[in-house]
Amino acid sequence: MIAVTNLQKSRGKQRVLDGVSLTINRGEVAAVVGPSGGGKSTLLRCLNGLERFEAGNVAMDGMTLEAGTKTPKATLLALRRKVGMVFQQFNLFPHMTALENVMAGPRYVLGQLRLEAERTALPLLQKVGLADKAGSRPDRLSGGQQQRVAIARALAVKPAVILFDEPTSALDPEMAAEVMAVILDLAKEGQTMVVVTHSPEFTKRAHTVHVLERGRLVSSGPPR
Amino acid sequence: MQPPRWWSPRIGALLLLTLPTIAWADDPPPLRWGGDKAGGAPFIYEEAGGDVGFELELAKFLGQKLGRKPEFVQCDWNTIPEVLERGNIDIALNGLEFIPDREQKLPSTIPYFVYSLRLIVKNGNDSIRSWEDLRNPKGAKYKVGVLAGSFSERYIREAFGKDIELLPTKEVDETFELVEAGDRLDATIQDSPTAIYYVQDGRRPKLKVVAAPIDAGYYVILTRPNDGELRLQLNAALKEALISGELERIYRKYNLWDSSQERLGYLHLRPWPPGAVVDSPAVEGPKSGITLRSIADKIALAAWMTVKLACCSMPLAILIGIVVAVARMYGPWPIKAVLTAYVEVLRGTPLLLQMYVWFFLVPSVVRYLGGDELAQWFSAAPFYVGVFGLAINYSAAEAENYRAGLQAIPKGQMEAALALGMSPLTAIRRIVLPQAVRIVIPPVTNDFIALFKDTSICSMILITELTGLYYQYKYDRDLVLQLALTIGLIYLFISFPLSIVAARLERHLAGGRDKS
Repeated sequence: MIAVTNLQKSRGKQRVLDGVSLTINRGEVAAVVGPSGGGKSTLLRCLNGLERFEAGNVAMDGMTLEAGTKTPKATLLALRRKVGMVFQQFNLFPHMTALENVMAGPRYVLGQLRLEAERTALPLLQKVGLADKAGSRPDRLSGGQQQRVAIARALAVKPAVILFDEPTSALDPEMAAEVMAVILDLAKEGQTMVVVTHSPEFTKRAHTVHVLERGRLVSSGPPR
Repeated sequence: MQPPRWWSPRIGALLLLTLPTIAWADDPPPLRWGGDKAGGAPFIYEEAGGDVGFELELAKFLGQKLGRKPEFVQCDWNTIPEVLERGNIDIALNGLEFIPDREQKLPSTIPYFVYSLRLIVKNGNDSIRSWEDLRNPKGAKYKVGVLAGSFSERYIREAFGKDIELLPTKEVDETFELVEAGDRLDATIQDSPTAIYYVQDGRRPKLKVVAAPIDAGYYVILTRPNDGELRLQLNAALKEALISGELERIYRKYNLWDSSQERLGYLHLRPWPPGAVVDSPAVEGPKSGITLRSIADKIALAAWMTVKLACCSMPLAILIGIVVAVARMYGPWPIKAVLTAYVEVLRGTPLLLQMYVWFFLVPSVVRYLGGDELAQWFSAAPFYVGVFGLAINYSAAEAENYRAGLQAIPKGQMEAALALGMSPLTAIRRIVLPQAVRIVIPPVTNDFIALFKDTSICSMILITELTGLYYQYKYDRDLVLQLALTIGLIYLFISFPLSIVAARLERHLAGGRDKS
């Protein structure tokens, strides 16, 4: 479903990605692990075009991000619509309530009207266990709650794949556990996902584990 | 390198050079006379060869007779009497009219010129042929420009009152340009020297003088009350100038000598200043009788104009500012460069200058390049020019505010929006901008208070807002203090609540951030 071929990227003199190739299949739960600074997050951000790269390409459902050429705007938007992302720092929109955050995608990306967007968003908040916080602003929510809202927000546009960028690293263990539970639920439902993580608990349950060190993929395969 | 020394032979020599002026302190002091060269023809003005003008020549003559070297001091015409009171000049000699209620504070010499009021319109204007025609029976009131603070302004206000729209202007040249433009002023009323020099003598060929002159009064020299002896000397010198024919010679040179000047001889023989009842001018009554209460409606209108100016221009400034800020943050580099220049030019030049450019310069340049028809589009009514000028000027400040606001929003916000699939424009509009707008509410509110006060600049382009109203009545010594206080209080009463709101917002926003 996603095919990454020979991805290369440098920052200054440093090679951040040095010829990474991998594929993600529909329904697959992939973990990307490795030491800090190994290029995991950069790889993830290349998948939805938040970062550019110098060589290689990323292909998904007939859309391709090609190195060196500027991706047409329409392609980029279409690709991002299919690829959701959850950030380490949550990045909820602070001027919106939890519900409005989840409605943001349906309204401003899918063009739904407010009521329709609400009908999309409420069940998702329920799914992450935060229906009672619908009217709260992010600064009234705990870190774990914020991340669960962020997951609901990503789900609201029905992405084919969700990229998780160290979703539990900024949380204390208890909250990390509640967020991890939500992610594992999604995995069980067959949601395709790529997760950059340090959590062994998650790595155990992934279908595939990719180990990235100094910009190179040193191993790919089922968890050991 | 030697360390610099403040004492050196050269500086010593310089000090020595200044000694004579100290030593000859007994020499008669110069005769410092105040006037305004700006638009000052034929009174005093500059030509390629230096300063000229009939008052300059008169001052030379007076200086000669008094044995004092005349020294011209450039003043703003409106404030010459105040400068005299402060003591920066010895005499005020610049087309200042004899006004009885000014005598006590600044006693005058005998007159040196008999002036009249002239009505001036654009060539081809056939609807205004006499003074009575100014009262346009049908349609809109005529717009008539008069030199702000002049006696003629006062006279016209009393004689025509509500029948015309009186627009006090600051400079003669600008006034003529506005009449020439056709639609901005229908007519102007000027003192005879100005009318003769500019219009009758063909320096403004697009204009013509119509109707018979109105006898208005005399030009006198103003002095300070304690300078009785100076007044005696000046009176003697003026009489001599008249008798010897010197005055006639000077006035003829500027084409100003007419039969009405012969009245000077008669006036010079009578006691000066004349008693309360004089054989004179069309204007009567030393007291204007204007009180705060009687102009309450005008004050209210002026306050409303101030509020309108501020409330129309600020939203525009914010709108332009946001567009400029967004384009400078996210746009391609040529646009960024152009907008950086836009912001810097507007921030780096005075609002007053910008206002003059929009109001006077742009229309005349457009007229020069594109003709009258095109110029029509650029000579909007003063109110619109005022709003435009304020909005453009403040848009630069707002652009900087919003740019700071945009920069303060974490990058993750934009990324989260893009990752959801929003287009960059949607992301800016729905996610980044709403947050930036919130952050900069306090500085924007502060700017609004500043703009509110800066609306006073609009008094320079014929808009009667609060400050303009003050200018119109400042000749009235009984009223001026009360008026200044009232107007100051109105400004304060409107801006003070605004600053409380700004302070509260600032605290609120700071508090909000602490909680997160």
